[in-house]
Amino acid sequence: MFWTDILAFARGPFFRVALWVFVGGMAYRLVRIIFLGWPADKVPRRGSKLWGALKSFLKGILVWPFIPWVKNTFNCNPVVYLAGGLFHLGLFVILILGTAHMLVWKSLLGFGWKTLPFPIVDWMAAITIAAIVILFINRLIHPVLKLISGPGEWLNLLFVFLPMVSGYVMAHHLWFRYEVIFSIHMIAVNILMIWIPFSRISHFMFYFFSKAIHGADFGKRAVEP
Amino acid sequence: MAGKSIYEEMKENGFTRRGFIKFCSAVAGAIGLNLGSPTAAKSESGKVVRGLHPANLVSRALSSKPRLPVIWLEFQDCCGCSEALTRSQSPTLVDLVLSQITVEYHETLSAAAGFQAEDAKTAAMKKYAGQYVLVVEGSIPPKDGGVYCTIGGKSSLSLLKEAAAGAAAIIATGNCAAFGGIPKAKPNPTGAVGVMDVIRDKPVVNIPGCPAIPEAFTGTVAHFLVFGSLPELDHLHRPKLFYGNTIHDRCLRRPFYEAGKYAASFDDEGARAGWCLNKLGCKGPITYNACASLKWGGGLSFPIQSGHPCLGCSEPNFWDGGGFYQGQSAPLDRPALLTMGAALAAGAVIGAGVAGANTVQKKSARRKQESKNKGG
Repeated sequence: MFWTDILAFARGPFFRVALWVFVGGMAYRLVRIIFLGWPADKVPRRGSKLWGALKSFLKGILVWPFIPWVKNTFNCNPVVYLAGGLFHLGLFVILILGTAHMLVWKSLLGFGWKTLPFPIVDWMAAITIAAIVILFINRLIHPVLKLISGPGEWLNLLFVFLPMVSGYVMAHHLWFRYEVIFSIHMIAVNILMIWIPFSRISHFMFYFFSKAIHGADFGKRAVEP
Repeated sequence: MAGKSIYEEMKENGFTRRGFIKFCSAVAGAIGLNLGSPTAAKSESGKVVRGLHPANLVSRALSSKPRLPVIWLEFQDCCGCSEALTRSQSPTLVDLVLSQITVEYHETLSAAAGFQAEDAKTAAMKKYAGQYVLVVEGSIPPKDGGVYCTIGGKSSLSLLKEAAAGAAAIIATGNCAAFGGIPKAKPNPTGAVGVMDVIRDKPVVNIPGCPAIPEAFTGTVAHFLVFGSLPELDHLHRPKLFYGNTIHDRCLRRPFYEAGKYAASFDDEGARAGWCLNKLGCKGPITYNACASLKWGGGLSFPIQSGHPCLGCSEPNFWDGGGFYQGQSAPLDRPALLTMGAALAAGAVIGAGVAGANTVQKKSARRKQESKNKGG
């Protein structure tokens, strides 16, 4: 068994299985949550629930990131707020606008798009890795967070950290032969994809549901029973 | 041939002493010998020649050693490696292989054919038993008793085993002989394998490539001739001298990779300006070969220089290593929509089942509680 074989396995069958588990697992989670049901809303309202949800999304994307200091969550712990924000921004930039990742999307979807120059993505990657380290330290020293962190939370950090660091090392051709670090990166990514549906990282999808429900609540302008 | 050294043979063929020394210098260069003081950096082959000029070392060997008999077998191949060798732009090295080394048997190059050629091979194998170098070109199909490739009524597997038994060393040239190559590509109907998978009791050197770089082949032979041993090999039995670096490491488009400038399509402005071919599917970063440094056509160019991405032809299973023109980061194959849909449906069905079971359980619990309350 050579590294080229391991790489072929990680890019081939293992990736396919990870993708199946990811898609099937997310469908499972979504159906479970939808089947929990929600109470009928019979209160007469003056506002629009749809507009409320929409406004909540728009504010979250276009307003709050630019004036974070008006939010309590920022003022309570600005370092964590910034680290968390930059972490998510970095992930988006790297996964969507990094050339290597765009080529993955292209192979899956059949179409590609323009990407950012490597140095920009590279700096974003460095910032994102720094951010996850800060978030890790915060979880380690924050008395309340420490109490409510189970193994799942620590594994979340580990499984996200591994693909990021291996990807960074690979992009810079450091220390390892390319096929070795490429294999490590792909294995880490596959593990993450299998892990996501059954962990809180599934918030990448459920976040939009909860945001919509909260937004609708804000928007409906009615007396809560 | 007995007794006569290579130098004596060359003299008979009209070589002057000066020509011979020049030839020796070329050979020394081809196998990467360094003129080394004891503190000199090691050459890539790991050999440091102390106190002797490399050309002198080669000339000493060629003046004292007889010609090296070679038996060249072709199995499931396209003859491309032989073609590349005969068209090599380094005439001295081709001379070395074709004239100074005796090719006793070569299916494409020998004048004799049929039983005559077979007889010549058998005679050579007997005469030089334990001394000859066996070169194999093409893969071996052991499936179904080896019926998919036979020569003179014998299967390629038995021919290889027969010839390998008396060989001093075996050189597998081209990806087919080294790793199974194109015949081994999915679905591999003939069960093709490389020499390494069949012969385990003899030293096998792989010179993969499609075709193998002629200089890599002749360099390895020259090394064997001069030192009487095979050059240092990597984990895939490739000489480190030629396969020690990736194409990417020596690529002339590398600075553009570092700067993140990629050609978007074949022969676009970027490709012409020398930008990296990563997005066009270049396999340079995981391909170990000497194309970027030795190049082809007498150092004229190599695929990437000409604007075509590296296919990774010196690596195992290169034919099944993902689309040639798909970025290397892409997964090997695109999962079918049907299987993705099936995964989605399976997840949804299991989710609905578990949710339904939960609802039923909740309802029955509630009913029980209510009847309990009523009863109490």
